[in-house]
Amino acid sequence: MSIIALYLLLLKATVTSFAGMGSLPQIRQDLVVTHGVITDEQLSQAVVIGRSAPGPVGAYVVSVGYFAGGWPGAVVAWLAMVTPALLVIPLVTLLRRWLHVPRVRAAVDAVVIASGVLLLTSVVRMAMDAFDQLTRVFG
Amino acid sequence: MRFDRPSFRDIAWLVLYDVNRTLGGLASMELLRRSLGARGWLTDEGHGLFVAISRVTPGTNILAYCVALGWHLASWQGALVSLAAASVPASMLIALISATLARVDQHPIVQAVIAIALMVATLLVLSTAWNLLRPYVKGPNAARTGIIAAIVVGLTLMGVTPIRILLVAAIVGVVMHSPDVPRVAEVER
Repeated sequence: MSIIALYLLLLKATVTSFAGMGSLPQIRQDLVVTHGVITDEQLSQAVVIGRSAPGPVGAYVVSVGYFAGGWPGAVVAWLAMVTPALLVIPLVTLLRRWLHVPRVRAAVDAVVIASGVLLLTSVVRMAMDAFDQLTRVFG
Repeated sequence: MRFDRPSFRDIAWLVLYDVNRTLGGLASMELLRRSLGARGWLTDEGHGLFVAISRVTPGTNILAYCVALGWHLASWQGALVSLAAASVPASMLIALISATLARVDQHPIVQAVIAIALMVATLLVLSTAWNLLRPYVKGPNAARTGIIAAIVVGLTLMGVTPIRILLVAAIVGVVMHSPDVPRVAEVER
């Protein structure tokens, strides 16, 4: 698989997900099932490596890129990971322009509230994960 | 909001330090809120706005948050510096580990460190959640917040994806809008 094709496939996965690990199903579909560039085991190992290292959880795609295309694959995977983040700039610019409109402000407030509640639900999952990990390590 | 702008080096160091010393983006956002807030470079309201926008931006949330932060502090250059600081160190480490095919998850010391880091990250995320919700749980906002929270929890239990939940929340916010809604502090350049 060419490096450009790898970049486009990984970009498709990252730009259609809204969380670090959200790209996983699409990556599996494209790189494991459709094109056979990596195996399920390599994908699982990439997830574990990404989860074990500090930093963004979504950085596991760099490991996927390495397994798929060596160091050039890792570089294009990094590019695929960071490209969608730049979309936040037009979003912030748009919001600044419309934030004085009361209904827009109300919608943003509601999204902030919903984000906070979603974080609380994440805390429950993270706490369970942390507890599992602790019992596995310390018995 | 007025503040002395940080240098590119300040942005790079703070983002690099806070994003790459914890597991997961949510904890990193809280660390950045504290670091930048202590220096007067970010308000809680600005932080809340960036957290919300990062959730509706495609891709990894913490990277979108860092780009928004860098853009707010120092335009395009700040956005790129922040993005690089947040993504390059972790990516290099992950690529190196992949290259050596080290089974890091098997080492007991690594497992113990991850267990402790997960606990710390959980507490940081709890802190972020509380900081986001705190302005909205008082006075006339409490009822609206409660309704939105109930809807979010219900949809989460039904397995609805976060992006759809946030879209529903935005619609509910517009529908429930009243003139008494408190202002979201504007992030001024």
